[in-house]
Amino acid sequence: MPVTEHQGSSSSPSPFSFGRSLLSLRRDHAAMPSGEEADLEAFQRHVAASLGELLPGEGEGGSGGGEEILSVAWIRRLLEAFILCQEEFRVFVAQARRRGALPAAGEKLVVEFHERAVKALDVCNAARDGVDQLRRWERLADIAASVLLAPGEIHEGQLRRARKALSDLAVLLVDDTAASGSGGVASFLASHRNRSFGRARASPSRAAVAGASSATSASHFRSLSWSVSRAWSASRQLQAIGAGLAAPRAHEAGLAAPVYAMGCVLHLAAWALVAAVPCPDRSAALQAHHLPAAPPRAAFPWAPPLLTLQERLAEEGKRKDRRHSCGLLKEIHVLEKSTHKLTEAIDAAPIPLFGDREADVREAAAELAAVCAAMRDGLEPLERQVREVFHRIVRSRVEGLDSSMHNAD
Amino acid sequence: MDGSAELEAAERVVMRWDSTSASASAAADEPMLFDGASGDRIEAERFLRAVDDLRRLAPPSPAAVGSPRCLSSGSSAGGASSAVQVAMARLEDEFRHVLSSRALDLEIEALADLGGSLSISSDRSNSASSADLQVVDEDDSVSSSVGRRSSYRSLPSIREIDLLPDDAVADLRAIASRMAAAGYGRECAQVYASVRKPAVDASLRRLGVERLSIGDVQRLEWKALEAKIRRWIRAARAAVRGVFASERRLCFLIFHDLPISNITITATATATAATAPATHDTPFAEAIKGAALQLFGFAEAISIGRRSPEKLFKIIDLHDALSDLLPDVSDIFAASKVAESIYVQAAEIRSRLADAVRGILSEFENAVLRDPPKTAVPGGTIHPLTRYVMNYSSLISDYKATLSELIVSRPSASARLAAEGNELAPSLAELELPEPENQSPLAAHIIWIIVVLEHNLEGKASLYKDTALSHLFLMNNVYYIVHKVKDSPDLWSLIGDDYLKRLTGKFTMAATNYQRSAWLKILNCLRDEGLHVSGGFSSGISKSALRERFRSFNAAFEEAHRVQSGWCVPDTQLREELRISISEKLVPAYRSFLGRFRHHIENGKHPELYIKYSAEDLEIAVNDFFEGVPPSPHIRRRSHG
Repeated sequence: MPVTEHQGSSSSPSPFSFGRSLLSLRRDHAAMPSGEEADLEAFQRHVAASLGELLPGEGEGGSGGGEEILSVAWIRRLLEAFILCQEEFRVFVAQARRRGALPAAGEKLVVEFHERAVKALDVCNAARDGVDQLRRWERLADIAASVLLAPGEIHEGQLRRARKALSDLAVLLVDDTAASGSGGVASFLASHRNRSFGRARASPSRAAVAGASSATSASHFRSLSWSVSRAWSASRQLQAIGAGLAAPRAHEAGLAAPVYAMGCVLHLAAWALVAAVPCPDRSAALQAHHLPAAPPRAAFPWAPPLLTLQERLAEEGKRKDRRHSCGLLKEIHVLEKSTHKLTEAIDAAPIPLFGDREADVREAAAELAAVCAAMRDGLEPLERQVREVFHRIVRSRVEGLDSSMHNAD
Repeated sequence: MDGSAELEAAERVVMRWDSTSASASAAADEPMLFDGASGDRIEAERFLRAVDDLRRLAPPSPAAVGSPRCLSSGSSAGGASSAVQVAMARLEDEFRHVLSSRALDLEIEALADLGGSLSISSDRSNSASSADLQVVDEDDSVSSSVGRRSSYRSLPSIREIDLLPDDAVADLRAIASRMAAAGYGRECAQVYASVRKPAVDASLRRLGVERLSIGDVQRLEWKALEAKIRRWIRAARAAVRGVFASERRLCFLIFHDLPISNITITATATATAATAPATHDTPFAEAIKGAALQLFGFAEAISIGRRSPEKLFKIIDLHDALSDLLPDVSDIFAASKVAESIYVQAAEIRSRLADAVRGILSEFENAVLRDPPKTAVPGGTIHPLTRYVMNYSSLISDYKATLSELIVSRPSASARLAAEGNELAPSLAELELPEPENQSPLAAHIIWIIVVLEHNLEGKASLYKDTALSHLFLMNNVYYIVHKVKDSPDLWSLIGDDYLKRLTGKFTMAATNYQRSAWLKILNCLRDEGLHVSGGFSSGISKSALRERFRSFNAAFEEAHRVQSGWCVPDTQLREELRISISEKLVPAYRSFLGRFRHHIENGKHPELYIKYSAEDLEIAVNDFFEGVPPSPHIRRRSHG
């Protein structure tokens, strides 16, 4: 930047340490011959390694951190992998530029990637909202769980309180599921709630009747939860991210291959994020024909792990018990399951509670409390990391803007 | 009355209002305890007292173990905890009801005034910002039509307004304190957020904050975005200083000092469940977070857009508005961790906007450098690029308060190197900037821009085949630059007298060069040398040489008249001065030439073929010069007129 070298970036230092950092990887390959081809090869291998580490069941002592696929921790690692690859890509481009090996066509490819990446920014924002939504669920679920886990006997008061929190949660889940464009577990919960609670006083309908607003605050709540525009659709956004992403032909040298690799990694990360958390119109994104296009397996070292990941994710989306969920995130699944279980345990509970029934309730509550605790611990770092991805994309785009300015003619 | 009788009485009061019992739930219009004027005050007070009694007399509910009154639970515990639950469910409904039904209609118009003083700086930069390097507003009114920048740092600050009437707030506080005391603070906070969040969102809609994704913003034309930025600045002031500030106050009035988000430590989730100490603004943060992030999201989307010169001034406006709001944002959002992240984001966006401003300025410098010489402007008049760059520069000087803060480094070596790599670019040596000690980086940039412009103009001047016209072109353009500088005190003080002197010198040089190359040959016709025949008889004037002189003078002058009437000097004063300067050289020379030699011609045949013009004819003809219009085919002659 000619105006100033002061890059005024106030983005907080990344809270994530890159265990397998770029530098250490580079040191491993210090013996490689230098030059563009070596760099290209190293870059592709690093992308392959980063993706490979995300593969589940890589063996106990394997490289994988052992997080279950689509858990909060796993999503964070996926985003970390994206950040790492993008960082490598930046270095790769910068080196090519320094060598003067970046002709106009190469710069154009880089710009194209940045344009593609910028489309992921809205996905980041939508995911941030989705994570926020998860926190709301967690708070309600935690009320139910903690009421029932408190020491002392469980009386009707506690059961009623827990039941109320669960039915409030059901309202949210129904709305969010509807917003994501699917139905299922949540609608089960909703009907269940109506059956077991009669007119649920927890529902905001009363306030709506008495209050000024004509819409129920529940629907209000849903339609205004998203900061992206009303018409925004996660599945359309993903399509835009993947648009025109085609494998370069063999003769296309230079940046074509790394740009393609980054496009695929970006698409995968965005797609996984949308699949994992509630987003507007997310269910359409999981349809088979919206999956990222498969890169030719043999042509790129990173293609096999990427394809495996993609297949695993798609399988998760197709699972019967997940198909209609508001997010494939493991914690959502557990939350829904244990909410369901607790609701049934409470319904089956006689007053006063004793013996097996009480144990059932407490066990279900403990399960729910555990997932709530996991969410409390995991969601904030996840939100921060989503934001970090946002920052990284912006930063490299801005660098692109500045450097294309100098090189374009 | 002993304790158990009291307790029973309290339970009875509470149970009358059991909102979860099926029998009581027949009608939706069932009365509420707290309902403004229509509510039953006495019953409401009685209910609250009963809740207090329950809490005082009954063993605490297990969920409220955090409270100090942790007695062992007796057999009545079930009944009491159930009554507490009934009371709390009731209070939750009441809380929701009061919060949503008693909300005052927000006076959006009054709030919008919080952004009113911004209008000083709106519309200012339209002319320059809508032009690009090629399409230029030909009229020169840019700087006059835009007001000088006036500081708008003295704005009304935070303005908290009542979102609910005082009595409703008191009721809410009364309810919230009961719920918190009974360990139901989280439920209460939940209800609070679920009612206020849509209200906040609706207020922002009414203020004109649109929900635009980054993609939407990227797709919009800059013209449309300019209008949106203007609206956004206004709305953001009202949102931050009015809506958010008022929300924080409401939340404080209801929840201050109440333990509302104590997460009970449970058997399974032990240490990890202990969270940050509860603060009264947690429900506040929950209510406004989405709206705030969305509000700032627009500014963020603008900050990462493509950088083109026309965006500079609106982005500075946006940057300044955000900077101006940051202290308030910090004040309003500093209280909790969640809210603080909003401040952090706003600050990030501000610095992105600052980056964008810097980026755009260098983009502009490069655009000036690279603007290719395509075709020469006819008549050597002021090039659109010159107008554009100078209007832009003078706007830059209008914004010098902000830009001096943002532009902290001089045109960097990389810019100059980039310039060198470009065949159009001036060489480094040529562009050595005068760099007085006290020159600011912004001043250095403006000078750099003008230097680059000068250089670019020299490239454009070389397109003219006629050297005189090429000099005239430079003269016109440098003159324009000098005048734009002198017209704007801010610009003048930025670039300083030294550089202005250099520019003036360049102008004088161009004017002199023009006169030399256009007129030397013509004036040479009027010299005596070569007319005297040496070694002949008597006075020795060669008539044929003299005739030839007159003939060639006439031809040269007619040619100059024909051509230079089509040339253009748009500045009236300069045009006049130039004509006078030409006349002053030409007319006396011609007059004296005539005086010395006319009798030689008049004594011969057809004198009118050689002496076609009187000195006055020439004086009149010079007035046709530089009008930029196709000249009349012949020079009007007074003798024939």
